Amino acid sequence: MLGRRVESCVAAPRAHVCVCSTRKSVLAGAMSCAIAAATGFTPSAFAQSAEKKAQPKSAPTEITSQDLLRNIACLEQRLRVLEAQKAAGTTSRQSPPQNGGEQDPCTEKEPKPWITTTTAEHLSLKVDAAAPIGKDVATPPPPPPVEVISFGAYGEIKFGRLQNPDAGGQWQTGFDAARVVLSPTYAITKNIIFNAELEFEHGGIAVDSDDKLAGSIDVEQLFIDFKIHERFNWRAPGIDLIPIGYINEHHEPNQFYSVNRPELYLGLIPSTWRAPATRVYGLLGNGLNYAFQVSQSVEDFGDSFDKRTDANIVAPGPYVGGFSIDSALGLSRTPVGDFRQLNDTLAYAGRLDYQPPWLPGFAGSVSGYYSPNTTPRGAHADSGDALGKSSLTMLDAEFRYRVPERGLELRGEYVWVAFGNPANLRANNDGDDTNNIGKTMYGYSGEIAYHFPLGTILESEWEAVPFYRYTFENFQASGFAGADLNAPTGQGQMQFHTAGIAIMPSPKLVLKLTYQKAINNDPTGANADYVLGGVGFSF
Amino acid sequence: MVAWVRLAVPAAFVASMGSPAHAIQYLTVEQSRKLSFPSATDFVPIDAQAWKVASDGKTVGRYIVDHVIGKHLYIDYAVTLDAGGHIQRVDILQYREAYGGEVRDRSWLNQFVGKNSASTLRVGADIRNISGATLSCHHLTEGIKRIVTRYGKDGR
Repeated sequence: MLGRRVESCVAAPRAHVCVCSTRKSVLAGAMSCAIAAATGFTPSAFAQSAEKKAQPKSAPTEITSQDLLRNIACLEQRLRVLEAQKAAGTTSRQSPPQNGGEQDPCTEKEPKPWITTTTAEHLSLKVDAAAPIGKDVATPPPPPPVEVISFGAYGEIKFGRLQNPDAGGQWQTGFDAARVVLSPTYAITKNIIFNAELEFEHGGIAVDSDDKLAGSIDVEQLFIDFKIHERFNWRAPGIDLIPIGYINEHHEPNQFYSVNRPELYLGLIPSTWRAPATRVYGLLGNGLNYAFQVSQSVEDFGDSFDKRTDANIVAPGPYVGGFSIDSALGLSRTPVGDFRQLNDTLAYAGRLDYQPPWLPGFAGSVSGYYSPNTTPRGAHADSGDALGKSSLTMLDAEFRYRVPERGLELRGEYVWVAFGNPANLRANNDGDDTNNIGKTMYGYSGEIAYHFPLGTILESEWEAVPFYRYTFENFQASGFAGADLNAPTGQGQMQFHTAGIAIMPSPKLVLKLTYQKAINNDPTGANADYVLGGVGFSF
Repeated sequence: MVAWVRLAVPAAFVASMGSPAHAIQYLTVEQSRKLSFPSATDFVPIDAQAWKVASDGKTVGRYIVDHVIGKHLYIDYAVTLDAGGHIQRVDILQYREAYGGEVRDRSWLNQFVGKNSASTLRVGADIRNISGATLSCHHLTEGIKRIVTRYGKDGR
C-alpha cells in the first residue's frame, strides 16, 4: 500500500542561530558554521560542546548570508593572526593586518550576530543562505519521494433482503462480496504512467466446485497514459472504460449513495463498460475537458464461449443476443482477451466535461457512442437466416450540483440509445415474442441528497447523506422489426424509487442502507424490490 | 480512423501551441512565483520547501511548495501566504493522475484565498468537493491546511 497515505513534505522547523557572549565560543562556532556552510556537514559533537560551554538562552536571531560571509572572513583573518603569532613566538594580541583600503570584516559599524553551533537544526544552515539582495534564490523545491508502484483499492460488500424475480418475487436474505479491486499505478517516467484495475467479483472463482465460488477475476482496466500536453494526451491501446456518462468511469462506491449502482448504469449503460480501446483527452478551455476514444464495438452476442466457434463466429443454433429487453445492453460488452471478439467494427465515443467557473459546485457532461455495426460474425435468426448489420448510437447528458456551502446536492441524467436496424437484432429473431427490442431505448433519473455533518467521531469527520432517486427506463420505446411476433408484456417499461442513507466516516469509506421499489408494466410485476445494506471503500 | 488521425493530430498540435503548459507540469516554481509575487525582489529560503518573500527589503509574504498524494500519484502544489499569514494564492504545479485533474480549476483553488491558520478548511463545508476528484480534493485541502498552520501562524 505504498503511497496511499496523504503525505506532506513539511520540513523541520526553521533553524536559528543565537548570539553568543564569549569570543571563544564565537571562534568555535564560526568555524563550525563555516565548515557546515561549505560542506553541508555539521560536526555535531563539537557543536554541542561549544554550545554547552557558552550557549546563552538568548532569543533566536535570524542571520543573513552577509552575516555568514562576514563571520567567515573574520574567522579567516583571525586564523592568519594566530598563525603569524605562532610564527613569531608571541601570544600577545595584535591588530590584524590591514590590506590597503580593504575594510576589516571584523569591524562592523553595526553589531551583527555571531554564529555559533547550537543543535542539530544547524544542518539547515546549508539551505538557509540568504539570497543576495535583489536576486532570487534558485533553490529547487524538494522533489516528491521516488515513485514506486502503488496500489489503490476499492470494493463493495452487500447484504440484506431482496426479491428474487426468478422465484416469483420471493424475499430472500443474502450476502455478496460484490467486488474488491486492486489498482496498481506506476509512473514509468513523469509523463508515461501505467494504470490497471484487477477485479475480484462475487468472492472470486475456484476450481473445486465445493468451494462454491462462481464469481470472476478479471482485468477491468489496463492502459498506459502518455501525458504529452495538457490539451492533448494519449492513452495507448489497452482495456479502457467507455467515456459515457459519469458513473461508468467513476464507479467507486463512494461516488453514489445507493448500495447498487444507479439503475441507468445497470443495463442501458452496461457499467462497468470497458473495451479494447485507445483515446486522446485533455483540456479544451477553462473548466472544459474532452475525451475521444476508438474502441472495439459492442456485439449483439451475450452467450458463453461455447456458443462461438474457434473460427470466431457464432455457432449454429440458438444463442442469447447482446441486447435484450431484460438487460438492455448489459450482455453486449465485447471480450477483452485472446482475440475472441466476434466483430471487426471500431466504435467511437466522445465526451465533454464542463465545470463552469461561473457556477461553482456544478459539473456536467455530454457524451456519445457510435458503432457502425454491432452484428457478430455468423449472427443468425432461429430460422437460420443470417442477420445483417445494425448500428448503435448512444447519447448521454448528466449533471451533478452540490450547492456551495450547503448540504444540498442534485443529480440528473438522460440516456438515449438507438439501434440502426432492429430487424437484424438477435432478440427480435430468437423465437421469443416477449423480449423484443424497439428502435430506441431511453432512461432518465433525478436525485436529491443532503449532506449532514455528524461531527468528529473516531478522529474523522463523519457525514450522513440521505437521498432519493427516481428513475424511469423504457427498453422498448417504438419501432419493433424482426421475425418474431411482437408481444411485449410491459416488462421493458420500468420505474424505480430508490431511497436510503449513506454514512461516510471518511471520504474513503461509506456505509449504506437502501430501499428500492421497482415497478414495471408487466402484469406479474417487477419483483425486484430490495432492502440492502452495504459497505464500500475506495482509497 | 485514418481520416480522423489526419485531422485530429494537426489540430491538437496547433491547439497545444497556444499554451505553455505541459500535461503534468502545469507551472514551474519560477512561473508560480512570478504569478504570486510579480514585484518580489528576494526569495529567502526558510527551509527546504518554503521561502520568505521580500520586495525592496520589506517582507510581503511566504511561498511554500509541497506535494500530497492524489489518489495514486503525487500532486505538486504551491501556496502563497501574505504577510499576515492569509492564503493569497494556490497553484497546482504538477498533476499526474489519470482522473481528478479538475482540482486545477482556478475557481476551486480560489476557495482557499483569504483563509488562514484559524480557518477550518473542510471539504464539503467551506471547500467544495469535486465529484470524480474526491480524494484529490481532500488530500490537497489537508495539505494546504497543514501549510497554513505551519507557516501562516503569527505571520512568521
